[in-house]
Amino acid sequence: MKAGGTRRDHTGLLFVLPFLTAYIVMLIYPLLRGMALSLQRVDLFGGGRFIGLVNYTRLFADETFLRSILATFALALMIVPLLTVLALALALALNRATKGAAIFRGVFFSSSVLSVTIVTLIWRFVLAPDAGLLGETAQALGAEPIPFLSHPTWSLWALAITTIWWSIGLPMMLFLAGLQQIPGDVYEAAALDRASRWTTLRRVTLPALKRTVVLVIMLQTAAQLQIFGQAQLLTGGGPGGATRTMVLFIFESAFARWELGYATAAAEVLFLLIVLLTLTQYVTTMRGSEGDGGR
Amino acid sequence: MPLPSLELRDIRKAYGATPVLDGVSLTMEEGEFVAFLGPSGSGKSTLLRIIAGLETLDQGEVLLAGERIDTLPPGDRGVAMVFQHYALYPHMTVRENMAFGLKNAKVPRDEIEARVAEAARVLEIAEQLDKKPNQMSGGQRQRVAIGRAIVKHPKLFLLDEPLSNLDAALRMRTRIELAQLRNRVDAAFIMVTHDQAEAMTLADRIVVMNDRKIQQVGPPMEIYSRPANTFVARFVGSPAMTLLPVTLAEGAGGDYASVTLGDGSVVQTRVPRAGLGTGTLQLGLRPESVRLTADGGSSAKVDLVERLGDRTLLYAHLSDGQAITAEDSGTSAVQVGDTVRLRIDGGSAHLFDADGAGHHAEAQSA
Amino acid sequence: MVAADFSPSRARWSPLTLVAILLAAFVMLAPLIWTLLLSLKENAALVGNSGAALSPPYTLENYRSILQGNQVFRWLINSLIVSGGTTLGVLALCSLAGYGFARLEFPFRRTLFIFVLLGLAIPEQAVILPQHQLFADLRLHNSYPGLILPGLAGPFGVFFMTQYMRAIPKELDEAAMLDGASRLRLFWKVILPLTMPAQATLGVFTFLASWNAYWWPLISATRSDMYTLTVGLAAAQMNYAQTSGLGFLMAQAVFASIPIFIVYILFQKHIVRAMSGAAAK
Repeated sequence: MKAGGTRRDHTGLLFVLPFLTAYIVMLIYPLLRGMALSLQRVDLFGGGRFIGLVNYTRLFADETFLRSILATFALALMIVPLLTVLALALALALNRATKGAAIFRGVFFSSSVLSVTIVTLIWRFVLAPDAGLLGETAQALGAEPIPFLSHPTWSLWALAITTIWWSIGLPMMLFLAGLQQIPGDVYEAAALDRASRWTTLRRVTLPALKRTVVLVIMLQTAAQLQIFGQAQLLTGGGPGGATRTMVLFIFESAFARWELGYATAAAEVLFLLIVLLTLTQYVTTMRGSEGDGGR
Repeated sequence: MPLPSLELRDIRKAYGATPVLDGVSLTMEEGEFVAFLGPSGSGKSTLLRIIAGLETLDQGEVLLAGERIDTLPPGDRGVAMVFQHYALYPHMTVRENMAFGLKNAKVPRDEIEARVAEAARVLEIAEQLDKKPNQMSGGQRQRVAIGRAIVKHPKLFLLDEPLSNLDAALRMRTRIELAQLRNRVDAAFIMVTHDQAEAMTLADRIVVMNDRKIQQVGPPMEIYSRPANTFVARFVGSPAMTLLPVTLAEGAGGDYASVTLGDGSVVQTRVPRAGLGTGTLQLGLRPESVRLTADGGSSAKVDLVERLGDRTLLYAHLSDGQAITAEDSGTSAVQVGDTVRLRIDGGSAHLFDADGAGHHAEAQSA
Repeated sequence: MVAADFSPSRARWSPLTLVAILLAAFVMLAPLIWTLLLSLKENAALVGNSGAALSPPYTLENYRSILQGNQVFRWLINSLIVSGGTTLGVLALCSLAGYGFARLEFPFRRTLFIFVLLGLAIPEQAVILPQHQLFADLRLHNSYPGLILPGLAGPFGVFFMTQYMRAIPKELDEAAMLDGASRLRLFWKVILPLTMPAQATLGVFTFLASWNAYWWPLISATRSDMYTLTVGLAAAQMNYAQTSGLGFLMAQAVFASIPIFIVYILFQKHIVRAMSGAAAK
């Protein structure tokens, strides 16, 4: 004779159903539809005509697209290492229980809560040669203001600096959390071993932070490969497409030229790139650390 | 004839391929206090949870006061449980903790207030009624947990290891409180414990469980003096009963079995020879049956001495290497390493046959 | 703070470190202060010479313009409705789902949970275009539901709530069941109150993320009266040459920052905790 209580088996489904519905309808279905879309031709005249991989082949012959890949990677390369090092330095310096340190930490985190439109608005008028803060300062010092937003190389750096200013808070917090997990007695042992502050840093602190460093790099790479708002608003992708990131390319293909199929294909390529890069980073760095043996 | 309160009929349960309960049946009297005693993994907690409705059973039935409850949800069974770690709702006050169940059962508000007040008075926690659990000590929290069970006026109380969390002093106090509670309410009690002392002192009957089955059911003294098998014999009673491999001595003793130990000494028991079978036998001796003697008896070397104040326990081994536990007075002068002579009181000895079943001395006539 | 006597965190700042920190802090704050100063100047005074912001006179006129009810106000309301709605929706859906995954046994539970977890790897671009199509088909663009609904599909909240609820001792559920509570009542009266810290953290995080969202509101709300504050600022940026001028523009930026900074100051701990949690996924 079976006992009662089987009714309990299905109540659980009722609890997760509302979320699951939203999830499937608005995330999974679009994901799948997107993959299908990338294989279609969609333009101003409507229609989803199946055209196989034509979008993809066209993409890889498209100079604008290829340049956008370059621009995206260039930006990521400019931002991620610098951001990681700066965030780490800040975390090391501010890892104290004093009120001053707490205030500084708050200062450095505050930019992260702003939206991209506020950030670009602020930095437009820092970087603009005619009305910007840097421009005015340069003029006051008698120097020529740098045309950040209209010079091919400088514009990339402009985006990089803006993004670093905006994003420094989170990695700093992650490093701080990682630092706080290092047990105090490791430092005591190092002191008893007569280690200098520099040696302690190099041989004790940094190795213990390795996991966090990898995490930060992976997260930031994925994030910076997806830069959109800053590129769109600060430089419009210019000058001459120098700062057109992949997401900006997708956006323009979809909403300026209404080539949804083509744009979606580009989005899938970006998706793939991100997954590959993140996985590669994870595998190469974590493999190594496993071999060291935890200490 | 009073209706039996709880009835378990052939309960079986498995987790996937692992069996947990192997056909457990039991009948409890009205108002009885039963202890489920056994080591971890014996199935006793699972059985309790099945009675409470927190686990389903694969086969069998559970009846309370003649009605089947295993198909009912936990709240409708007329059963209340005091959890091992109390499981008080941390965000509710004591009063709300106790009232929660009654509110769910749509008991009228003044009835709820009356019951809560009464339980608080009995348990002496009336002053804590508006506090939250984290503002109270462990002992107070337990009383709240008991109060939460009392107010439901259940037909059956389930206690999950009620004394394990407590330090020695609190344990004594709680044991007394539980005994008092038992007298005050009109319900049956089931207590799950791994501590045989708890079971012995509180229960009317003990259900000894091991290996997913019931090993023996009976009043504490019967479990102690007439253990059904070697498991029960060694599990109940502290320190554990000594078991020595022995052989039946032919011809001697008449109706009662006489056995030869490994070191050659002979013990005359009062266990009837009939029914012992032909396999290997084990002699069961409680420490109080083995005492020091000036001469005669068996020679043994003392490995460990435990001075308990009112008595001293001697852990020794006989000349054939078999371990044996003896008892001496509190002022014993025996030291570790001494060689002593032990006299075995055969009259109180037990014999266990090849299947491990217990055979005991016939009851002494008055 | 973990600080053994010899750990670096106990040492005082060397002068070099202090200078470096101050410099960095200056770089952090300078743009913000610059923006503030610009917002306090009359538009006319700034034409062709934004350096004028560095010296008085200052005025609150730009803010008065904003408060005198123009589009910016409308955008603020939109942001409040959308972010508030999203937050409530996420908290409700994720609490329910979290409890289901954490506690209840139902067929395919583990599979479904992994299914949801994998969603964490999906980046915005992979879904936003088809989402746009879908909502166009459903005629939900330029509406509040259109702005709120996509935000409810994110798996992070479910993951977060499930982890938190798993940590609540199962015994409480059992005690409540023995107290005759139905699953729903158990959820509402026992479990939910115990998740208040998690609700606060997830709530603040969701509110902030929704408030700052750019891409989706940009393409879904194309009528200027449906803009959120974030999108409105983008539009204002593009048009500023034609419209009222630099001071006013910067005042909008400051105005848009105020709600966020209020939330930040009030809930700093929660925001940091949530973002670290999101990152560590």
